[in-house]
Amino acid sequence: MKAFRRSRHQFVAVFNPDEAGTLSILASQLIALLEDLGSREADPAMLRLLPDAYSDDAEASAEFRRFTADDLASRKATNARRIVADLATAAAATSATAVKVNAQAAEAWVRSLTDIRLTIAARLGIETDSGDGSRDTQSPDPALLDLYDWLGFVQGSLVDCMDR
Amino acid sequence: MSDVLEQTERIESTMLDSPWVTIVWNDPVNLMNYVSWVFRTYFGFSRAEANVRMLQVHHDGRAVVATGSREEMERHVEAMHDFGLWATLARAGE
Repeated sequence: MKAFRRSRHQFVAVFNPDEAGTLSILASQLIALLEDLGSREADPAMLRLLPDAYSDDAEASAEFRRFTADDLASRKATNARRIVADLATAAAATSATAVKVNAQAAEAWVRSLTDIRLTIAARLGIETDSGDGSRDTQSPDPALLDLYDWLGFVQGSLVDCMDR
Repeated sequence: MSDVLEQTERIESTMLDSPWVTIVWNDPVNLMNYVSWVFRTYFGFSRAEANVRMLQVHHDGRAVVATGSREEMERHVEAMHDFGLWATLARAGE
């Protein structure tokens, strides 16, 4: 993986086939999760993706969710599909491949990378922010934690490019 | 710091006569540069203002990012959820 950099009006990163494949699978899993909304109300990941809109009013939160959840989930799935589409060539390649993301797609990418990281954080039980970069996880899974960190690197490099 | 925050909310609500606020909460997942980018992109904050609010979220645990009608704040909260930020709305001063 070579971090995103700006190239004229688009952003370019180099992904190994396994990296592109992994991110593509994660995005696909997010889509499946979002499509399965109704049966996942108690899923901690779902509560991170579609949090309560009122911190102390369960009834108002439920009503807000009733009016917004389907559209939010649909937009989040559309963002994830953008990642899958943009990575298709790199995931099927036999060597490291440059992935070009235009400005509009980049907005979908950073949103969806957030959603994927929120989902993994819920799985890992990352709930507190120590402020010094270390994490307090309930169920440490080194491989998943490495993946989570890598996704943060991918997203951070893309935001840095977009932010200029 | 929470006193200052409450005071800010009270002043904003008094001056604008707008009883609802949008609050963004700290979470361990969202990157600082991303939160700052969201604030600039969506709310149109200057770079300096976006960074102040982002740091307020990071250090104080939350920041008020908008004040206005309940309907308006619900739209902002939905937009923040689109970005994956943890946001809620509440009556100002609560």
